[in-house]
Amino acid sequence: MGSLARAYGRPLATLITGITLLWILVLILVPLGAMVEQSLWWRDSKGDVSLAIDRLYNDISLIELDRNAETDPAKQAAFDKALAEKQAEVATLEAEEKNPPKTYGFANFTRMSALHFYIFVRTILYALLVTALALVVCYPVAYVVALASGPRKAVILMVALIVPYAINELLRVYAWLMILDYRGVINGILGWFGVVDLDNRGWIPFLENPSAVFLAMIYTYVLFMVFPMVNTLETLDRNQIEAARDLGASTARIHRRVIIPHAKPGIAVGCIMTFMLSAGSYSVPAIMTRGQGGDWFSQLVYRQFYESNNWNMGSAYAVSLLVVCTAFILIMMRLFGVGLRDIAK
Amino acid sequence: MRGKDVRLDKVSIRFGDSIAVQPTDLAIHAGEFFSILGPSGCGKTTLLRTISGFIQPTEGRVLIGGEDMAGKGPNERPTALIFQNLALFPLMSVAENVAFGLEARGVPRAERQRRARELLELVALEGFGDKKPADLSGGQRQRVAIARALAVEPSVLLLDEPLSALDLKLRQHMRTELRAIQRRVGITFIYITHDQGEALAMSDRVAVMSRGRLEQVADADTLYADPATPFVASFVGEQNVLHGTVAGLTDDIVQVDTPVGRLSGRVKGPLAVGEAALVLVRPERIALGVGGAPAGENVIAARLASRSLEGASVHLVCAAAGQNLTVTVPNGPNVRELPEELSLSFGTRDALVFPVGALAHG
Repeated sequence: MGSLARAYGRPLATLITGITLLWILVLILVPLGAMVEQSLWWRDSKGDVSLAIDRLYNDISLIELDRNAETDPAKQAAFDKALAEKQAEVATLEAEEKNPPKTYGFANFTRMSALHFYIFVRTILYALLVTALALVVCYPVAYVVALASGPRKAVILMVALIVPYAINELLRVYAWLMILDYRGVINGILGWFGVVDLDNRGWIPFLENPSAVFLAMIYTYVLFMVFPMVNTLETLDRNQIEAARDLGASTARIHRRVIIPHAKPGIAVGCIMTFMLSAGSYSVPAIMTRGQGGDWFSQLVYRQFYESNNWNMGSAYAVSLLVVCTAFILIMMRLFGVGLRDIAK
Repeated sequence: MRGKDVRLDKVSIRFGDSIAVQPTDLAIHAGEFFSILGPSGCGKTTLLRTISGFIQPTEGRVLIGGEDMAGKGPNERPTALIFQNLALFPLMSVAENVAFGLEARGVPRAERQRRARELLELVALEGFGDKKPADLSGGQRQRVAIARALAVEPSVLLLDEPLSALDLKLRQHMRTELRAIQRRVGITFIYITHDQGEALAMSDRVAVMSRGRLEQVADADTLYADPATPFVASFVGEQNVLHGTVAGLTDDIVQVDTPVGRLSGRVKGPLAVGEAALVLVRPERIALGVGGAPAGENVIAARLASRSLEGASVHLVCAAAGQNLTVTVPNGPNVRELPEELSLSFGTRDALVFPVGALAHG
C-alpha cells in the first residue's frame, strides 16, 4: 500500500487496493467460505418424529371417536383433556419436523459411505494417471514446438494445437464419443474389415473401459500441459543443448540432465493444471461413460447437490476434493523444487 | 592430452543460395594456437562449427588427425567447443559442469570428482566446485568453461569468441591465461575472434578471413609487416590509404602517381603501368621531416590538422592535397610545439602498393 501510494498517488492506490480486496472477497473468500460453512453442518433427518406425529394423530382420532360415543360429561371432560394434551404434543413435534435444528460438526466428512470413498480414491488415482499420460504425450510435442523446429514450423504447430480449442469442450468430447461408440468410427472400420460383427452386437465396448475417459480427457486438457512446458522450454539457451552434445552426451542424457531440469517449472504447472481439471471434470466422464463405466467423484458431488438435494454433504465432498487438489499442488511444488515465484513466471 | 592437426580440404559451406564459406584449404598444425580473425559475418563461426561437427560441409572434407570426419557428429569428434556465451549448465554445480563430459562417458562418480578437482586446480578455481555458475564472476565462469571442455581430453579445443563478454582488463588477463593453459595442456587451440589484438597477442598463426574466404594465413609479425591483400593490410592495424595510378615499375619497386605526388613502394600483387593502385603506409612508419629527407624516399608536404594524445604516442592528422594522413609519433618534448607546415617522409620499403581490392572498414 505504501509503495503503491508513492507510485500512483493516494486516491489511485486506494482504488487499486480496494478492487483487489473486492476481487479476493467476491471470487475467493465468499464462495469458498459459503461452501466450507455449508459442509460443516447438517439437519438430522426426522423420520422418527414424523412417525411419532402419525401415531399421535391416530391416537387423537381414536380419542375423538371414544369421546363422541361417550355420554357421561365427566368422562367427556377427561377425553377432552387427553385430546388437548395430544394436540399440543403434535404441535411441538410438527414445529420440530418443519424446522429441524442445525448441528455443526465434521460428520459430513466422516459419514461418506465406503463406496463413495472408493470412488473418491479412484478418481484421484485416475486423475493422477491422466496427468502422467498427458505429460508423456505432451513433453515431445512441447519439445518439438519449442526447440526442435524452426520458428515458422513452431507457429504452425502451435496454431494446430490451439485450433481445436476454438470448439466447445463438450463438442470435442462428443467427437470422441462418436469415434469410440459401439457403432462409432473405430468399430465401423473394424466391422467393415470384418474384424468385429456389428449386426450381432459383437463390437468392442471401448466406452465401458476407463481408458476411454482418459483418452478424451488427455485430448481435452492437452493444451494446459503443452503451453506451460513450451513457455519454459523456449527460454532454454540452445547452446546448452549443443554444448552437452559436444561433450559427448547422448540424446537421453541431454534431456535428463539439461532440458528436463530447465523445464521443471513448466512441467509442474502443466501437471497441476491437468490434475486439477481432470480431478474436477464432470462433463468428460459423464459423456464418455454414459453411466456404463464407473462414476467419477465430480458426478457424485453433482448428485449430492441436485438429486439427493443434500447440499451439506455435496459441499463436504467438494471441500474434500479441494483439499486433496491443494495438497497435490504443494507436493508437486516440493517434488519439483519450484516455488510460487517460478510458477508465476 | 595430445594435440591433433586439423585439415580442411576444399571445404565450402552454403546455406540455401548464400555461400557462407568459399572453397577453403587450411592446415592447422598439431599443438598450435591458431586464430581465425575476421569481421562479423565473414564465416569464421561457420567454419568453427564445421570443424566441431554441428555443420556438415556442403563440399570438401574435414580431417582431424588425418581422419575424415564426414558423418561424425560433434559428440564423436576429438574436439571440444567453448561457446561465445559459454553455455554453462546453470542448474548444475561448477564441479558437475566440469564433470559432465565424463558423466556422459560413464566414468564412475569418484573418478569424475577427482578429475573435476584436478581441472579446477588447473584453471585456478580450487574450492569453487560446489558453487553454481551464476555465483561466479565473468572470468571465473570463463575458466569453468575451459575446464569443462578440457575434461573430455579433446585433441582440439575450439573457442568461439569466448572473451567478448568480458571487460577490457579481464580480457587482457584472460589472453595470457589462455595462452598459458594452451602451453600446459599442449593441445591444438582454434580461436575465433574479430579482435585483432587478441589474435595477434595469443596466436602462433592467424588466418584472416573476409566474406567467406581466407585472405592470408601467417604468423602475427608477417600479417602486420607483410600483408598479402589490401584487406589484411587495412584490417590488421592502422593504414593510410592513397589511391593512384601506376607510373613506373622496376623489379619489386613501383612508382604511383597519387594526389599528393609521385610515391614509390613495394609491389604487392600484379601491377601494370597505367592501372589503378592502392598505396598503404602505416602511421608509425611516417617520419616528421624537419630538415631535408634522404634521397629516394617519399616526401609529402602537409599541414597539421589535429593532434590527439594517446599516452605513449601521439596521433597527428595531417592534410595534404585534400587527403588526410594519420601519423603516429612517440610522445616527447617536441610534440607540443610542432609547426603548422610539416614534411612527411617514409621509405620505399614502408609503402605497400596493391592492385585495387577490398579494404576493411568500408
